[in-house]
Amino acid sequence: MKKLLKYMKGYRARCAAAPFLKAIEALCELLVPVVMADIIDFGIKNADKPYILGRIALLGFLAVLGLCFTMAAQYFAASTAVGFTSNIKKALYRHITSLEYGDIDREGTSALLSKMTNDTREIQNGVNLTLRLISRSVLIVFGAAVMAFVVDAKSGLIFAVVIPVLFVVVFSIMLFSVPIYKKIQKRLESVVTSVREYLYGVRLVRSFGRDGAEAKRFDERNGALEKSSVFAGKISSLMNPLTLVIINLGVVALLYSGAVRVSAGTLTAGQVVALYNYMSQILIELLKLANLVMSISRALSAASRIEGVLESGARGESGAIKGPQKETQKETQKEILKTSRAVELENVSFSYDADGAPALSGVSLSVESGETVGIIGQTGSGKTTLVNLISGFYKPSGGKVKIYGRDISEYDKNALRKAFHHVPQKSVLFSGTLRDNLLWGNEAASDDELSRALESAVAMDFVEKKDGLDTWVGEEGAGFSGGQRQRLCVARALVGSPDFLILDDSASALDLATEKKLRGEIAAIEPHPTTFIISQRAASIMHADKILVMENGRRVGLGTHAELLSSCGVYREIFASQFGEESLPPRGGLGENISEPNSKSDIKSDIKSDVKSEGKGGAA
Amino acid sequence: MSKIKLGADVKEEKEIEKEIKKEKEKKQAGSAFFRLMSELGASRFLLAASLAFSLVFSALTLYIPIIVGGVIDDITRGAGILDVKGQLIKTALFAAIAALSRYASDVLSNKVVFRTVKELRKKAYKKLSRLPVSFFDKGTSGDAISRIISDTDAVGDGLLMGIANMFTGVVTIASTIIFMLGINLRMTLIIVLLTPVSLAAAAFLAKKTYRLFISQSEKRAAETAFLSESLKNLKLIKAFVREEKSARDYEEKVDDYSDCAKKALFASSMLFPSTRFVGAVIYAAVGLAGAFFVISGSLTIGGLTCFLSYAGQYSKPFNDISGVVSEMQNSVACAERVFELIDAEEMTHDGNGSIELKRGEIKFDSVSFSYGGSEPTLSGVTFTVKAGCKAALVGPTGCGKTTLINLLMRFYDADSGKITIDGKDIADAPRGDVREMFGMVLQDTFLFEDTVLENIRIGKPEASREEVVRAARLTGADMFIERMSDGYDTVINGSSELSEGERQLISVTRVMLAAPPMLILDEATSSIDTMTEMRVNAAFAKIMENRTSLIVAHRLSTVKNADLILVMKDGRIVESGAHGELMLRGGFYKELFESQFEAA
Repeated sequence: MKKLLKYMKGYRARCAAAPFLKAIEALCELLVPVVMADIIDFGIKNADKPYILGRIALLGFLAVLGLCFTMAAQYFAASTAVGFTSNIKKALYRHITSLEYGDIDREGTSALLSKMTNDTREIQNGVNLTLRLISRSVLIVFGAAVMAFVVDAKSGLIFAVVIPVLFVVVFSIMLFSVPIYKKIQKRLESVVTSVREYLYGVRLVRSFGRDGAEAKRFDERNGALEKSSVFAGKISSLMNPLTLVIINLGVVALLYSGAVRVSAGTLTAGQVVALYNYMSQILIELLKLANLVMSISRALSAASRIEGVLESGARGESGAIKGPQKETQKETQKEILKTSRAVELENVSFSYDADGAPALSGVSLSVESGETVGIIGQTGSGKTTLVNLISGFYKPSGGKVKIYGRDISEYDKNALRKAFHHVPQKSVLFSGTLRDNLLWGNEAASDDELSRALESAVAMDFVEKKDGLDTWVGEEGAGFSGGQRQRLCVARALVGSPDFLILDDSASALDLATEKKLRGEIAAIEPHPTTFIISQRAASIMHADKILVMENGRRVGLGTHAELLSSCGVYREIFASQFGEESLPPRGGLGENISEPNSKSDIKSDIKSDVKSEGKGGAA
Repeated sequence: MSKIKLGADVKEEKEIEKEIKKEKEKKQAGSAFFRLMSELGASRFLLAASLAFSLVFSALTLYIPIIVGGVIDDITRGAGILDVKGQLIKTALFAAIAALSRYASDVLSNKVVFRTVKELRKKAYKKLSRLPVSFFDKGTSGDAISRIISDTDAVGDGLLMGIANMFTGVVTIASTIIFMLGINLRMTLIIVLLTPVSLAAAAFLAKKTYRLFISQSEKRAAETAFLSESLKNLKLIKAFVREEKSARDYEEKVDDYSDCAKKALFASSMLFPSTRFVGAVIYAAVGLAGAFFVISGSLTIGGLTCFLSYAGQYSKPFNDISGVVSEMQNSVACAERVFELIDAEEMTHDGNGSIELKRGEIKFDSVSFSYGGSEPTLSGVTFTVKAGCKAALVGPTGCGKTTLINLLMRFYDADSGKITIDGKDIADAPRGDVREMFGMVLQDTFLFEDTVLENIRIGKPEASREEVVRAARLTGADMFIERMSDGYDTVINGSSELSEGERQLISVTRVMLAAPPMLILDEATSSIDTMTEMRVNAAFAKIMENRTSLIVAHRLSTVKNADLILVMKDGRIVESGAHGELMLRGGFYKELFESQFEAA
């Protein structure tokens, strides 16, 4: 919580004022029974009507005063709680968007979402209730006891017993219910899972005739939920009856001692009435206090979770302690000076976890500006990881990534990212108009430019049928088919003429004829961006200037289609699996050993197969 | 409420239907309540008992101040401890009885609530298995979840608890008035006449707050939608360097929300202080009048004490009731939504003929189908897959391949035409029996939140662990499963890092294990790399030898060696034959096939 306190900025005065004002209200309220006791003991006893009127006026005054103070307090509390939380939310959002890919993977998006919504709500609630209740509840509960002592010290002792007993009862019931309610929450979630699984997996359930088994599972979970809910009900239902008994026993004790002492003349009837009133005041406030304690503890644990997120970036990758903000202040190359050698990888390795298996090991590659590189390989062979390293989303654990001859870390991150435009595997569009979505690549792009991008992405025909650039895109790209979304994502990446274009399996939902057309359009773009195409289809990459074949995080082949067909075993297999054995040419003269996954011989193959490259790079 | 609105937005074509429904709903508003009562069944007696106990509780808690007032009078008169002892014991005893009744009442009503919620959920869930697949394809599954989970909860918490609270409230008010009248008529009138002031204040604030709350929850929904969209796609935002822009957009949303939230929070937090204020004014008025009455001798000090304590209590049940009424309105709407699901139109009657697999010949006879739109998805589809053959469906996206599978599995029923298996019309057979004949893998894989082992075993619940592992070795899924944290016992959940290809492999393994009489693969290997795919296909070829199979695939390499290739376009079969024949014919198939090879 401590670290979050700085977000209280601008609300400090209100934050202090609210409990203070509430305390005054509580004092007003505490005076009421005393005033009433005076009315009984002096006003009624002496039949002094003006005195009574005066005291009643005092009561009215206390009520008005209390209302005014409480109104101000509630206003301060509400605006502090909401303002404080908004500040946290904004800071948190900025922090989250500044996280690197590695941190995002570690935190997990659904956890981040729940922290930003649920946890901030807990904090808002906790702050609001604390400001409103802490001084009032504490004052009334303990104030009532103190007032009781003031009225009559001996009767005060009864309060000194009743209040702790109430405390113990209320808190033990609450503490005891907390784990039960957590269990209920879990069981409820399992019921939800059952329902969701039936709804989303209906074809599977029905095709395997599992209706009965699923229903049985649901019944079990539903029954367990009921059982624990009833049990929790039995526990929390104890609260009312127990406190009722305790308070009434307190009243009986008060009256008992009252009867003794009034007849002895040491206590007045009015004082007995006042004590009775105090006794009934404490219960409500005590319950509020108990609730307050619960929500404070919830808010505190929410706060520590949020602090955890706020600290997450500082941990940094590869152990270096640098906040993302600091990093941009470091002197970096904002301008990207093009040279003919666009990308160079020198013996690059990478693993997602420090101790996990490497996702890439010893990959070298060099790409000329404007070239098209195809990357092919099995699922999990490291294709996407490789392009993520090239565009600087992850830092290599070993080796070097150079863009235009400079090490990638020398560039300003944002400048670098702007140079790369991605078409991600999952075609994501954001809710808004199509124009909003396309402007991502370049805010200043004209409608003409957007239309050209749509043409190049073979998306114009279906966009025209809708409302053109003003077509509304629903959440998750609703309103477009999978293939249409993919083409729109391609169009988005084309806007703003990027230096680099990365297509990550971005035509998988297209039928072959459309994909072919799309390939043609992209090839025709002038000036041609340095393009990386990841695909599992040999047909999608076979016309690339060079093709990188990946297996288990290693480079097992590099060259043109023809070269690889004659030299790379893995490539031959992939090709054969898609086009049939009979379409394979006979093995060529370059020999099989070139494609073996050994980095030294890889360099050799680099020299031989990479026509334009000068053949350096690699670990030697 | 907003959820209902969202649901309506989804399907515009149903707008008119909804209008008609709304009219109906108005008539049903009352009936949902009565229907719920009839759903209570045996719980009705428990509910009645709970109400009876709460009656005892209310009466006693109100009677106790009267005893206390009497004791105070006695004390004022100078009575000694012996005179009031009996009264004090009575107080303690009544308090104990009141406590016990309250406990009994609460526990019973809890039982009724949770049992009813359970039964409603059970009913709704059971209903799901009788709904046609079209219901699940409507994309309103989220809505259905909220009906089965939150709406049933609201019925329990809101409606049943509401009834109990309402009852207690009315009883309290009635008995307070009766007790007060027993003490002093004029004092009673003062309290009864002043109460509406408190009520009016509460109602005014509640109304104001309600409006603020509605707009607050709308703003919050907008904020959450924005958050979930951008957090889910955080990497994309970073890739396009949109951090600043999206942070500014978010801040705008937060400011929007907090402006409204401040007001709503303030208004709602004024509810208690205002009623407290009105209560204080009434307290003062009662004190004033009471003091004068005591002086004039028409009231005792004990009576005054009693009235003072009633003055504080009396307005509470009114506020409770008004709160309950609005909550009950909401829960009646929820109950209606639950009943709407329970009453949803069920699948057409199952055929009661029997169907038995003999050879496995599948025949479509001029089958047509549409999902309800104007354009038919399938029109006049006719073909025969001979027993034991491997047939493949190819064609561009949206040509009706998946629909054809839907009809064959009886997820949907054909509008016209006939589908037969071994000469028997599948429409005449129970759906379960038809589906049992097929093993099916779909492009959209579905895995249960369960272990990998159990997920694979779904295909054959009695299979041993060894059998499962053997099947996984056949498909090659074994390799990545072994690498998972707990191997075959790894629980699959939303956060598990399975790729789409791996998920497909698990689904394929499932069917491999089941070794079904006939096989349907609908783009089942679209995310699996071609090498693994070949392996899967070889494994299937072995298992499915002499068994009929039907395969949908984009990759024509997958399809090439099928016995029969059905080429579809715009809901029709335009060509059919073996690969060689079709290539020779030089039609649509050849065009599709060659686009794989041609240069860009």
